[in-house]
Amino acid sequence: MLAASSSIATTTAGQSALPAFAVVVETHKAMVYSIAWQFLHDRVAADELAQDVFLQLHKNWARIESPAHLLFWLRKVATHRAIDAARKRQARAETSLEETDEPTVLERVHDAFLASYLKRMVASLPEKQRSVIVLRYQEEMELDEIAKVLGMNVSTVKTQISRALELLRGKVSRRLGRENANDTV
Amino acid sequence: MTPFEEELKQALKREDPGADFTARVLARCVREDERRERGFWRMSWLTPAWRVGAVAAGLLVLAGGTAVEQHQHQVKGMAAKRQLLLAMRIAGTKLQQVQERVKESEQVEQ
Repeated sequence: MLAASSSIATTTAGQSALPAFAVVVETHKAMVYSIAWQFLHDRVAADELAQDVFLQLHKNWARIESPAHLLFWLRKVATHRAIDAARKRQARAETSLEETDEPTVLERVHDAFLASYLKRMVASLPEKQRSVIVLRYQEEMELDEIAKVLGMNVSTVKTQISRALELLRGKVSRRLGRENANDTV
Repeated sequence: MTPFEEELKQALKREDPGADFTARVLARCVREDERRERGFWRMSWLTPAWRVGAVAAGLLVLAGGTAVEQHQHQVKGMAAKRQLLLAMRIAGTKLQQVQERVKESEQVEQ
């Protein structure tokens, strides 16, 4: 991050920005790709979207003022592009949590399975709730930062997170309850 | 942060897009830069021969336009000249008629 930040600051007009840009891509590729992945759940589509975000960054390179601005810009563009792409694909974003199929195989919902199950549940959340959950728990962003990126009030962000957590907890509890019942049979 | 939120955080860990991701992005950026740098004059179909042809065609159009303008100017000039001659002819005839009448009236008086 530090290397990328100093590169941005020192890149002057007429000087090739590509080496500094390469450092930025390398530093932030996982973040951008993961945001795309949480919305699309398709490796090829997420990869393509992440590339598009960096291509857009390359075009707007001169406008990036600081490392903090860079991070904000990447998160914002990646999230909005991912939301748009998910809408276009009419992917799982439009399927309500209650409509989501349960895993067909009997899998114990803990450790790795719980992570996998939670990912699926997050993917099935409504668009706004999914956005705030991804930014909060994947990106570990503060509420006011999330509000800025998504163009919401802080109170709305709080509400959306709380509703999403409630839904997820309920779903996981029901799942765990059923697993325990199956174990005792 | 509650244990459930911790689980959620673990589940939503970042994933890496792959080792060659940066190389692919840079390749696209380079292609995009090259595409932008190639302006109208550097488009692939516009070879040097085409450029000469385009300039020649432009000059021809310009010269043609000037010639047409000159011709129209000449036509207008000729028409004006004809009108002037006709007017002078009419005026001459009228003058002659007046002179004849003056002569006739003088003869009558004498």
